[in-house]
Amino acid sequence: MSRLRGRFLRLGGLFYKERSDREFAQEMESHLHMHIDDNLRSGMTPEQARRHALIKLGGLTQAQENYRDRRGIPALETFAQDLRFALRMLLKSPGFTFVAVMILALGIGANTAMFSVVQAVLLKPMAYSEPDRIVTLATFWKATAHQSQVSGPDYHDWHDQSDAFESMASYNHWDTSVIAQTNSSATAEYVHVAPVAAEFFNVFGMSPALGREFSAEELKAGSAGASIVTYSFAVRNFGEAGKALGKTLQIAGKSMAIVGVMPLGFRFPDKTDVWITEDALEPGSASRSAHNYKVVGRLRTGVTLEQAQAQMKSIGARIEQKYPDSNSGLSVAVTRLRDQMVGDYRLTLYVMLAAVGVVLLIACANVANMLLAKAVGRAREIAIRAAVGASRVRIVRQLITESAVLALLAGALGAALAFWGSRALVALAPADVPRLAEASIDGRVLLFALGVSLVASLLFGLAPALQVMRTDLNTALKQSVQRTGGGSRADRMRQALVVAEIALSVILVAGAGLLIKSFVALQNVSLGFQTERVLVAQASVPASDLESARRATRFYRDLLPRVRGIPGVLDAGAIGVPPGDTQSDGGYYIDHLPATFDVSAPNAVFSVVAPDTFTTAGIPLRAGRDFNDGDTYDAPFVAVINEALARQAFPNQDPIGHSIFCGLDSMNAMKIVGIVGNVRQYGPAREPSPEIYMPYEQHPQPATDLSILVRTSAQPATLSPAVREKIHELSSEVPIKFTTMETLASQNVAAPRFRTLLLGIFAGLAMGLALVGVYGVMSYVVGQRSNEIGLRMALGASRGDVLRLVLRQTLLLAGLGIVIGLAAAAGITQLLTSMLFGVRATDPMTYAAVVAVLVLAALAASYIPARRAMGVDPMVALRYE
Amino acid sequence: MSSKADVWQGTLALMVLKTLETLGPLHGYGIARRIEQTSGDLLSVNYGTLYPALLKLEQEGYIDSEWGQSDNNRKAKYYRLTRAGRKQLAKEAQEWGQATAILARFLSPREEES
Repeated sequence: MSRLRGRFLRLGGLFYKERSDREFAQEMESHLHMHIDDNLRSGMTPEQARRHALIKLGGLTQAQENYRDRRGIPALETFAQDLRFALRMLLKSPGFTFVAVMILALGIGANTAMFSVVQAVLLKPMAYSEPDRIVTLATFWKATAHQSQVSGPDYHDWHDQSDAFESMASYNHWDTSVIAQTNSSATAEYVHVAPVAAEFFNVFGMSPALGREFSAEELKAGSAGASIVTYSFAVRNFGEAGKALGKTLQIAGKSMAIVGVMPLGFRFPDKTDVWITEDALEPGSASRSAHNYKVVGRLRTGVTLEQAQAQMKSIGARIEQKYPDSNSGLSVAVTRLRDQMVGDYRLTLYVMLAAVGVVLLIACANVANMLLAKAVGRAREIAIRAAVGASRVRIVRQLITESAVLALLAGALGAALAFWGSRALVALAPADVPRLAEASIDGRVLLFALGVSLVASLLFGLAPALQVMRTDLNTALKQSVQRTGGGSRADRMRQALVVAEIALSVILVAGAGLLIKSFVALQNVSLGFQTERVLVAQASVPASDLESARRATRFYRDLLPRVRGIPGVLDAGAIGVPPGDTQSDGGYYIDHLPATFDVSAPNAVFSVVAPDTFTTAGIPLRAGRDFNDGDTYDAPFVAVINEALARQAFPNQDPIGHSIFCGLDSMNAMKIVGIVGNVRQYGPAREPSPEIYMPYEQHPQPATDLSILVRTSAQPATLSPAVREKIHELSSEVPIKFTTMETLASQNVAAPRFRTLLLGIFAGLAMGLALVGVYGVMSYVVGQRSNEIGLRMALGASRGDVLRLVLRQTLLLAGLGIVIGLAAAAGITQLLTSMLFGVRATDPMTYAAVVAVLVLAALAASYIPARRAMGVDPMVALRYE
Repeated sequence: MSSKADVWQGTLALMVLKTLETLGPLHGYGIARRIEQTSGDLLSVNYGTLYPALLKLEQEGYIDSEWGQSDNNRKAKYYRLTRAGRKQLAKEAQEWGQATAILARFLSPREEES
């Protein structure tokens, strides 16, 4: 107790130190006087009395020192002293402090911002109960190791035969037309709808906040079905979540009652607003080759991912054996939901985090260099402090405190920068990065910033501290200020730091160079269609059966001529899925259908299009004809193929006149009437696939949702109100979403653009910092050697000679850094292989460019120091000696 | 300078407490003089040790201090035993007695008498 009390008071003693010092002085004074009084009484002369008392009092200072130690906590007090001294030192050279803090803040801020994104996307647990137990299941193609969706019958076998899962559910999701029946209005809007199987919500450990889950009755095929909506959808449409219960939604022409409202925030999959019973819109397909579903599951408690994977593998093998026609070569892949969601972004984000870490390393090297230069100037100060009794540990602690103060200042500023940087990253990132919107500067991110600051302070504080440890007191005191500082060893350390800075920036610049070259290559790929001035209006006409689907195609038949009539419209067409978006594909057969279907048939992308779509999208007609208004449902079935399919299926033949079959919605024979140029359906990074175009009127069911393409003479977006008006003239039940072909195309390269831009920025920062380092060291070297330079000039060296002297040394440092950097880069850039397009990780052109850029930049950075060297007056330099 | 022994480590606090118990409130100088006198001038109190010790005792709550007037009208800081200090004194005195008794037995010429 009393010891605790003592500690507490001692802590307090730190704060009222001055008062306490004064009090102690008074106490000593009264002590002294009482002693003198006594001495006088015992007969001493005043002189003697005083002398005697003073002697007895002994080392007053020592007593005071002991007293002080007792009063406060020495270590803490030393720290407070160090802190005060550090602040004073930093304030004394505001220029140095400003530059060092800015450099570090940049590094810490960039790291913190990047970490906030990594934390949101990769680290923060998902907001479901025990999210690690949630997995996705997919069909695994053993030959290609790729994963795809799952067929209905396969899913049912997986579900019924496994026991590793507490619950498992198939689901699907897409944007479609939903009309919420409210009192005031009933307009169709595009809503993300997910048909889900019975246990779907159990997988996530969720249940409706209001109402109930689907009943067994509603889940039965052939029933009316039911819907559950998100909290935000309920509030948006019905004003209050509770009011949604019992209301009806019109989805794709069917009415479905709302039986439940999920808790706020739950929107899986993607940005779902409405879940409906699985078979409500169309009965499940009995075909094992129709891979139409996605599957999620929750692992039973205690079951590991590997155990679940092993069990599913043996179930997959059984199915493969039983249904060789449809399932040979197929197995099952079980992946954690998070891993599946994050996908390729994991590598990208970690590479970026590493890159930004390198930027911080360079920043630290820079500040270390600045501190070393300063330590040279302070060598005498430090030597004097050592001479009057400061221990080395004490001095090093002082220096480390200075570094820590510097780093913490920078950390605070960096956190502020990160606040802004994190938002910039979110804005720059592709829209499909999962959970990116959750990126924010929260407690954990701030803790990270603090940690990074402290680690940084150790990194850059270490060099000068080590320097001090080595400094020999005697020589430091003897030497003049000009020459002190550990001499060549300190110089070597500074030069090594600059070499490291250059080497590190070479790695980043090389990586950025490769990505930039890839990105340029991607941009230069001809997509095969026109992206400029094409407005895209996605429309969805509600339909549930063939009859209503045919009504839907008549809607488009009426609409297209009206759109073409809008002033400023050059052409208009319509296509099932615009190029670059998710395509549907499947097997095709030429001339006659085989007796049995198997998985080995060649694949093609299926597209339904309206007449004039090729002209509108700028896809060239190579042979034959385009579709026309005569290609109706009752006319003979026709098809147009692309060049890739013509080359694949008709080598050295004229395809026109042959028949082609594909299982889009019917197995009718289609006569090939035309050939068009290839487009890159999956974006620029992938080769064009074979493609079959079919007239939309002959395939009404896949043609209820079309993207209307409008080629315009002006900015495409300006025409969207007119197009909307034309659609609403015909029907108020058709929701529309506008975009442009240009936007769609740029979304395809959003991920490469993001990483290229980011690594480019980081590389730029790295190089900039490295050049500051080169500049600093060369300035210092010139300052150190100004005597020598003066002497050389006095002995007849020309200004050119001096220039060469400085540049030679720069090139030596830069060259060493570049060589080391190149060696490291050759290894490290292998990490980028999966992100490269049209360029290899060892591309010599890129590396040559990197070398050229860095050499030129290093020379530029040493230009000012070189100029200063040339300006050395030999007389001044000589007299200085 | 002097052949007097310094106060042994750890015993100063006990002496201070005892002095305050015997004499009542007293200033630092008085405490030092009293200890020296009681020891028959065999001990010399080092002031560099005394004042920190007083401070420590005060921090631990065994003594209080306040400024007052000395006999010959000087301003001086007076230390006074607290209740906790009294208890501590009893405890330490007992412990000390025990320790010296044990040590005395070790050092006594009559060994293994029982």
